[in-house]
Amino acid sequence: HPWETVTTAAMQKYPNPMNPSVVGVDVLDRHIDNSGKLHSHRLLSTEWGIPSIVKSLIGTSRTKTYVQEHSVVDPVKKTMELKSSNISFTNLVSVDERLVYKPHPHEPDKTILTQEAIISVKGVSLSSYLEGLMANTISSNANKGREALEWVINRLNAEIEEFTASARGTMRNSMAAAAFVEK
Amino acid sequence: MNSVGEACTELKREYDQCFNRWFAEKFLKGESGGDPCGQLFKRYQLCVQKAIKEKDIPIEGLEFMGPSKGKTEGSS
Repeated sequence: HPWETVTTAAMQKYPNPMNPSVVGVDVLDRHIDNSGKLHSHRLLSTEWGIPSIVKSLIGTSRTKTYVQEHSVVDPVKKTMELKSSNISFTNLVSVDERLVYKPHPHEPDKTILTQEAIISVKGVSLSSYLEGLMANTISSNANKGREALEWVINRLNAEIEEFTASARGTMRNSMAAAAFVEK
Repeated sequence: MNSVGEACTELKREYDQCFNRWFAEKFLKGESGGDPCGQLFKRYQLCVQKAIKEKDIPIEGLEFMGPSKGKTEGSS
């Protein structure tokens, strides 16, 4: 998909069926800097399906994990960069992710995504079995991310088609009405 | 999609609609002229900031910007 489509979808990524644990998205800040780039700071709330009995013991506010996301969109250079890191009450494991969307250099109808993640436990970088496990999860999440955007793009296209169809219908009705009046 | 503060969800929806339209139709096409959603954003922001304080969400290093500065603000 062209970069503009992907970027627009990325801004409206949630909700989507591939990320059912994201339950809230808020924009904390948004501004355009002096070079015309749009900065957005967002807060994402996620719920991991903790059994309700646990929730009733520790309170619902502590069952959510929060992710803060900083995105920068450069409409001239056509890049979108997203940096996100999770914040939670325990901060035991932190995942920092960086994604960059750019138009494909040779095929203008495609977009390239580069993604990297740094996983740390209590501030120390992991280098063990656990790291491998999470890396697998993250790369399958990367695929999920692509599927998620695909889903959002299809939904946006369907909305546009619906809008166009109903606009056509309205026009036809008013033309018919006008013709009737003229007679 | 809901807001972190339940009371803010409606304000968020209004702002999101405004923003998404402006983003796709103006910003990405390189049209200058500020973000027209300033007022909606302000109202939504006040609500969110209150919710974050109430829920004690530990956000560090984020300045809560007030109205955008200078040329980015649309005329109101």
